[in-house]
Amino acid sequence: MHPKSNILEQIASNLYSGEDKVVADLVQQSLDQGMSPAEILNGGLIAGMDEVGKDFKAGDLFVPEVLIAARAMHAGMNVLRPLLAESDVPSAGKYVIGTVQGDLHDIGKNLVKMMLEGAGFETVDLGTDVRPDDFVAAVREHQPQLLGMSALLTTTMPGMKATIEALQEAGLRDEVKIMVGGAPVTTAFAEQIGADAYAPDAATAVDVARSLTA
Amino acid sequence: MTVQIPVETLHPTIQMLSDEQIQAIHHTSLDILSRTGIVMKNEVGRELLLDAGAWESEGRIKLPPHLVMGAIASAPSRIPLFNRLGELTMPLEAGKVFFGPGSDCPFTIDLETGQRRQATAEDGRRSANLCDGLDQIDFIMSMGTPSDVPPLDHYLHSFINMIRGSVKPNVYTANNREDMEDMYRIACAVAGGETELREKPFLLHYAEPISPLLFNEESVDKLLFCAEKGIPVTYLPSPNTGGGGPITLAGALALGNAECLAGLVLSQLVRPGTPFLYGMNTAALDMKSAIVSYGSPEWPLGMAACTDLARCYDLPVWGTAGATDSKLVDAQAGIEATVSVMAAFLCRCNLVHDVGYIEYGTTSSMEMLVVADEIIREVRYVMGGVEVSQRTLAREAIHRARPGGGFLADDHTLDNWKWAQWRPALIDRLRYDNWVEKGCQDMTTRANERARQILAEHEVPPLPEATEEVIAEVLREREAIRE
Repeated sequence: MHPKSNILEQIASNLYSGEDKVVADLVQQSLDQGMSPAEILNGGLIAGMDEVGKDFKAGDLFVPEVLIAARAMHAGMNVLRPLLAESDVPSAGKYVIGTVQGDLHDIGKNLVKMMLEGAGFETVDLGTDVRPDDFVAAVREHQPQLLGMSALLTTTMPGMKATIEALQEAGLRDEVKIMVGGAPVTTAFAEQIGADAYAPDAATAVDVARSLTA
Repeated sequence: MTVQIPVETLHPTIQMLSDEQIQAIHHTSLDILSRTGIVMKNEVGRELLLDAGAWESEGRIKLPPHLVMGAIASAPSRIPLFNRLGELTMPLEAGKVFFGPGSDCPFTIDLETGQRRQATAEDGRRSANLCDGLDQIDFIMSMGTPSDVPPLDHYLHSFINMIRGSVKPNVYTANNREDMEDMYRIACAVAGGETELREKPFLLHYAEPISPLLFNEESVDKLLFCAEKGIPVTYLPSPNTGGGGPITLAGALALGNAECLAGLVLSQLVRPGTPFLYGMNTAALDMKSAIVSYGSPEWPLGMAACTDLARCYDLPVWGTAGATDSKLVDAQAGIEATVSVMAAFLCRCNLVHDVGYIEYGTTSSMEMLVVADEIIREVRYVMGGVEVSQRTLAREAIHRARPGGGFLADDHTLDNWKWAQWRPALIDRLRYDNWVEKGCQDMTTRANERARQILAEHEVPPLPEATEEVIAEVLREREAIRE
């Protein structure tokens, strides 16, 4: 086997099993061997997280196993990040994410964010209880390709519609693809409020985000 | 801080009878035996009792209390049962609970067609094989009466197919002494000899008197055979309320207790120390359909009361759970199996049979076995109680958590999730879309798939060649007698 692809495969498989220290070491070794940050990111770290996402979606992995893998991804990214900034590697896309106004729940939203980062998206997390105006301001400031909104409560779901209307008023609606999710949200609701897509779980959210930016 | 004494985990139990209630039932049973008496059809049994101090009047044998108390004292409080490979897997003793199927259903639900049909010898081997592959099932009983072998060989073939299909200990039934002798020959061949079988028994015989108070020739004969050979045995009356027993549960318990204790006396007279499993079946005879109800709440109620009596006598105890009156593996089946399995665990009944019965014990179902396996797994987890310790109190994780932020990604979760939560094997928790994608399966459909998978993949070590030779010899002799 070619030594280059061999070390990338090792990064991916160690990431899959959550060996954060090993992943960080292997990333450093790859750099020392002269591999480019982009090569390591796409061929090692993201490739590993893709396997994780695939098996999670198929029901073969548990959420903590995904999180442990994400922890290993972070360990690898900590080594790569300074170099990525210098080398101007294009990210999979920029993603602004938040829980809508009146809703303080973010366990699911954080999971989506972690999976997106694992897939190479650059995320801007606005946190919880985000007002429509704050979503608009963030879209204006960061110019993301994607905006994701989460709601756990039926009473806060209208916040999604209000945000989309605020984006329309600000003339920004067509600048960004909008995804919605959360326990009470459905495909029908997403269509009804004029969002671009709905994803039922974090692994699917990555697939949807990729197809929207393709 | 120095090492401190850990906080003990409480494991929940139930007690059904007060000490006063136990005494009242116990004294009624002794009174039944000494004043009402039993009808003993077996001559050897009759002589044994009369020689030991019982007397005969009005055509009944009457047993004095001291005879009964002596037998209770001489029977062991623990019956260690081994698998057929010689490993101790089922010590019947205080606090332990073991599950297995019931025996001798005329019908079974065909796993492939879903049709209810007569059971065959091959069904016996397959159900033993399935039980062997289910990790919550501890012992085997032959679930189907094989319709495709000569009637007098039913039990023999059932026995052979149980030991071929599984290594787990078995509870077996027999027609008469001839059956018992043939099975004993085979069992000795499996164990490696008579002494080896006595030291590491992998089987327990199930015989039963006819309630009320009738001790028939064959059942006593089988009981005496076990006592002679040192085979663990249970002699279980079925004082079903309104049928074999009074309509009221207390009366049924007093009667069943008297009958079981009379069996115990016989076993101890032949050989003091004969391993004897105490118990009785306390189903309800349904007052509408006249079926013996396997899902009735009287049964778990009676099982818990019976377990209290056994504890008072310091004897291991028999029980029933995981069965249903439903003709399908449906919601009713789930309710009846769960209530009884929960009761069996809570009262710490030692050997719990009839798992996988449907249609009031007339039909066996492999799907029901697989569903009950999951029920047992879940209830076992509940019985584990709540561990309260440094690692489970998660004090530091609570301290560092961001209010509202949750614990999903916290190190404490990532370090402990594997053991800290129960995870289902068959119960569905899929997200709706995934469930639709996988064919909208209900639990019975998934159970059917799992049963097929186990039957296709699970391997059981074959019987030693010498045992197969003895089996062939026994079957040849049977054939010769028929001709």
